[in-house]
Amino acid sequence: MSQSSLSTAAAGPGSSGTGAPAGSGADYEVDLRSLSQFELAWRKFKQHRLALIGLGLLFLIALAAIVGPIFLPYQNVPPLPDKIVYAGRPPSLAHPFGETGGLQADVLMLVVNGARTSLFLGVTSMAIGVGIGTIVGALAGYLGGFVDNLLMRIVDVMLSLPLLFVILVVAQFFRDARDNVWSIIIVFGLFSWMGVARLVRSLFLSIREREFIEAARAVGVRDRRIIFRHILPNALSPIVVAASLIIGGNIISEAFVSFLGFGINPSTPTWGNVLSNSLTFILVGNWWWPFFPGFAIILTVLAVNFVGDGLRDAFDPRSRA
Amino acid sequence: MAKYVARRLLQAIPVIIGISIVIYSILLAAPGGPEQKFANNPRITAAQKAKFIAAWGLDQPIPVQYCRWMGFCDPKQPGIALLTKSGVPNFLPAALGGGDNGMAHLSLGFSIDSGEDVATRIARAALPTAILAGTALVIWILLAIFLGVVAAIKRYSLFDQAATVFSYVGFAMPTFWLGLMLIVLFGSTLRWLPVSGMIDARLSPAFGTADYWTYFGANPLAAMGDLLRHLILPVITLVAVSVAGDSRFVRASMLEALGQDYVRTARAKGLPNRVVTFRHALRNALLPVVTNIGLEIPFLFSGALVTETIFSWPGIGKLTLATIQSFDYTVLMGILMITALLVVLANLIADVLYAVVDPRIKY
Repeated sequence: MSQSSLSTAAAGPGSSGTGAPAGSGADYEVDLRSLSQFELAWRKFKQHRLALIGLGLLFLIALAAIVGPIFLPYQNVPPLPDKIVYAGRPPSLAHPFGETGGLQADVLMLVVNGARTSLFLGVTSMAIGVGIGTIVGALAGYLGGFVDNLLMRIVDVMLSLPLLFVILVVAQFFRDARDNVWSIIIVFGLFSWMGVARLVRSLFLSIREREFIEAARAVGVRDRRIIFRHILPNALSPIVVAASLIIGGNIISEAFVSFLGFGINPSTPTWGNVLSNSLTFILVGNWWWPFFPGFAIILTVLAVNFVGDGLRDAFDPRSRA
Repeated sequence: MAKYVARRLLQAIPVIIGISIVIYSILLAAPGGPEQKFANNPRITAAQKAKFIAAWGLDQPIPVQYCRWMGFCDPKQPGIALLTKSGVPNFLPAALGGGDNGMAHLSLGFSIDSGEDVATRIARAALPTAILAGTALVIWILLAIFLGVVAAIKRYSLFDQAATVFSYVGFAMPTFWLGLMLIVLFGSTLRWLPVSGMIDARLSPAFGTADYWTYFGANPLAAMGDLLRHLILPVITLVAVSVAGDSRFVRASMLEALGQDYVRTARAKGLPNRVVTFRHALRNALLPVVTNIGLEIPFLFSGALVTETIFSWPGIGKLTLATIQSFDYTVLMGILMITALLVVLANLIADVLYAVVDPRIKY
């Protein structure tokens, strides 16, 4: 639709310039609607093949995470006596991802249920991190002076902490809780805002010097409105790109922390927990147990990174599409 | 130059103190404590437990414990005791009548778990980590430069595209998963390589003991071979993931150098391609790479955490996990502070080195 409207628009000025008489019967409907920033970006995004593949993959994974657990609810089936196989069973038609050792759970069921928690954690912790980062960066960049200095020093200290260690230690706070998904999400959120804060601050520093901000201030727009209405929308695209990268990073970190036994309670299936459990039986040689959850992680993070790449190209005014 | 280095070192001090306060507070505020190891032991009475807590000063408020850890407070007296019993400030050297505890006296304290000196314990774990991380580092730098340079020279070739795919996948891959897959493949299915520890316990005494070094001296070839066999899988795990990012970095840097005017000039002079690529472009392209890799080194000290855990490599990473689990605050603080120091130092060295090798930079 946008394509056709554009060609009409291109032809428009020429034909209207000749002043076609109203009674000639040719009833042109000249659509001069210009494309918004996001429509322009979407047009460029569509030409980024990998990004489209990534988007499709993400859609499928999200679908599996939402619909999958309905068909394959998470449960530990007590094994029938004749079904106890120490090493689990390799992939078969009934269990395409194989079965685990020990309690003989279906690996596909574990992966699908893990997807739900892992994706949820990736997205929500990203939202928390980006939210904090945006607010901190906006305050520092817009107010400047003492506030800027204080906030940026906090960012400096946070960035020189060995973050993984700190996350491991902080995760101890919630270790005994039966259901600690939200606590872990908040921990990850609290440790993923620093990069965004720096980014937003630098964006605010440059945008607040532009003429339209001066104009807004001249007509008496209040600070809060300037920040949220005038500056933030212009800073949105780099933030979105950074956010996509945080999702991937946090999914990997969660797997890592849960794998070490410090993360989400082992009774909740996440990709990290499934991998962690597989370690017990690893020397038996059942490759399918650790393979599929790890493969799911790689696929998801790849897809998220592809989409991030596509977004960066789409929002970058210097890249041609 | 000396002035610049001195100023940077001075600036680092408040940052390090800030980091130490933050880490110390988080550590001690976390629920549980070293006394947890007695939780399931019916033979330990409450009185014994209380005595243990008091002996390690764990009953004191966090600021007091921190003050003692820093060496400004006398642990032999309750509360914030800045003076020793003889009335001398505690942070002075022991020779002048001060105390002998804490960072002020360059002591990391004693392990709550084993009673050993923390520095000794860390030093013992540092050797295996140095062997593993050092080997990985050399291979990874060489491989990253090779892959990046070839990908840049043959841009958009099949090799370049394969390298791109490899780096994308490497970025998305959790390190430990690669380790697990290697264990399944080479350890439990093919049974080619050992998957845990540093040495074969059937062949030699435990690594690091005096017996081991006598054994090592007696038949160095067998000992080295055994060590190498144990190194292969963890090194592959460490290298594969790190190379993914760094080879991209080398490629970008090399492409930029190849587009510079001086490269065109060199070509215009009629210099052979090989000379232009390696003498003119590569040497300049490696400048940012050196800095980048320098900044990654301190994280090798701790970054082998997962790899060491998976392959039961008795290094710093394994020690860290063990101390987190047993709440051995002193050892943990020691490891974290050394890591933070290394990070600050690496930043400084990278900056200085960059200014030395690139005359265009002034500071």
